[in-house]
Amino acid sequence: MNDSDPDSIDALPAEPGEVGLVAPVDYVSDEPFTFESGRTIPGFTLRYETYGRLNAAGDNAILVCHALSGDHHCAGFHSLSDRKVGWWNNIIGPGKALDTNRYFVLGCNVLGGCQGSTGPLSVDPETGQPYGINFPIVSIRDMVRTQERWLRAIGVTQLAGVIGGSMGGMQVLEWGITFPGFVRKLLAMATTARESAQAIAFNEVGRQAILQDPDWNEGNYASGEGPRVGLAIARMMAHITYLSDASMARKFGRRTVANSKESTGAFDVQFEVESYLRYQGKSFTNRFDANSYLYITRALDQFDLAAGPGSLEAALQPVTADALVVGFTSDWLFPPNQNRAIVTALLRAGKQASYAELTTDLGHDSFLLESPELYALVRDFLAS
Amino acid sequence: MSLRSNKRTVDLQVITDWVTPSSCVLDLGCGRGVLLEELAQQKSIRGIGVDLHFDKISACVKRGLSAYQSDMMGFMAEFDDHHFDHVICSRTLEEVDRPNEVIAEALRVGRSLTVGFANYGYWKNRLDSVLHGRKPQNEVHPTTWQESRPANPLTIADFEAFCADQGYQITRQVHLRGDWKTPCSFARNLRAGYALYELSR
Repeated sequence: MNDSDPDSIDALPAEPGEVGLVAPVDYVSDEPFTFESGRTIPGFTLRYETYGRLNAAGDNAILVCHALSGDHHCAGFHSLSDRKVGWWNNIIGPGKALDTNRYFVLGCNVLGGCQGSTGPLSVDPETGQPYGINFPIVSIRDMVRTQERWLRAIGVTQLAGVIGGSMGGMQVLEWGITFPGFVRKLLAMATTARESAQAIAFNEVGRQAILQDPDWNEGNYASGEGPRVGLAIARMMAHITYLSDASMARKFGRRTVANSKESTGAFDVQFEVESYLRYQGKSFTNRFDANSYLYITRALDQFDLAAGPGSLEAALQPVTADALVVGFTSDWLFPPNQNRAIVTALLRAGKQASYAELTTDLGHDSFLLESPELYALVRDFLAS
Repeated sequence: MSLRSNKRTVDLQVITDWVTPSSCVLDLGCGRGVLLEELAQQKSIRGIGVDLHFDKISACVKRGLSAYQSDMMGFMAEFDDHHFDHVICSRTLEEVDRPNEVIAEALRVGRSLTVGFANYGYWKNRLDSVLHGRKPQNEVHPTTWQESRPANPLTIADFEAFCADQGYQITRQVHLRGDWKTPCSFARNLRAGYALYELSR
């Protein structure tokens, strides 16, 4: 899929309002890349998808940044038999908030990820073996720096906007700071400039579940093998932090599931919520690499914009883009006050920045909400 | 032009005249951003509006303005003394909790504070209350009781006594009659329908 032409995708008829069939593309950089941590790799791959067309000036692009467990597949479907559309299909498409008639929308799998971009699963050219935990420590800034190299290589001269929720929002902020001239609008949702102790604590429990699984084996495991139990537990717990008490009560309540035939005891699945979480955990192990999970959660925990420059407004001083941050009342992972703090710091630094807050009961995952109010806000902000 | 839009325009014109070009302005209770947009166009200000409601913030964003969804006090607490050149509190003073604290905080974060409010001491209000025993309803206070939001109305006399008591300096003022157009120069607490003040410490 290295040299496939993204334009050929558009030749297929799409449903009105839908991007339709899409295919991922790999960008391969043969230039060395030095991580913030100081280590260098000889090159990297980023897997990406695009929706819409880049204009002649190369400046109508909108980059969509994904969260911890997300990927480059933001919209449309990969084959006619696909049951699931891309993770942010509700906002990307012709006439949608990220209007592909107007913008060239791109999503890419982050550096350190496991969905096709260079990460711990990739082969280290020096050893001929997967990097595993010999992969350099990745930062949010590293992710953004690889994205910038890729975007310039494919002819993007300036981003009309960068948008993302959660870890995607961290990338948005980093974009505004690291490449201020390259981006006109920053739209971050359900995010933070630095994680709270609580958020780090949840990530640490997830990592421990992986590290304590004997199949982790110091990060050395064959492709398709590895600490499946540990990774599933990490995912089950993390998934709870993306929801809320109210949304879980509505979705599951105390409903129980019928006992299966091979039921063996009191600790089999009894409640629907258990069944759901077990399913989430198990299906995650089929699509996610445990080492990537360790690396990306580390990147989240270490992200702290204020740490170097001394204050958040000092960190945000280079920003020239207009910013909009959206918080959600029921988000207890990156709660509204952490979202607000980004905007007040931008304003103290003399920047153009807005803060909007949606009342939802869906928790952290609210940013993926199907909400006409949110769509209108996103559309108007990008067009303003 | 309807009375309603005329009222809006007069208000905008006075406040716009008072704002220094290219200054940094905070609009408390910015609504849909009509005033901030005017100030951005006429005076090239760098502005931020604060409002409690998502749809108001969304409307400001659509106009290309910066706006922040929050309560006023929580927002102002995030800023150093005199961060803003002008703070504006147009037709919102009646709806805030503890207006004395809002005014004090606005005069901390701003070099000046502009307030505009409908004068509850307006003579027709007095007639409605005293003669008819009714909630005032007239060109200055157009809504009926059942359509009104909770409000803590104030009069010109209340406000001026408060400023004197607190030692706030009134640097500019404008009083308009019930038509919100004709200047009012005497017996203002009785005859004026609308008052605008610029304060500094």
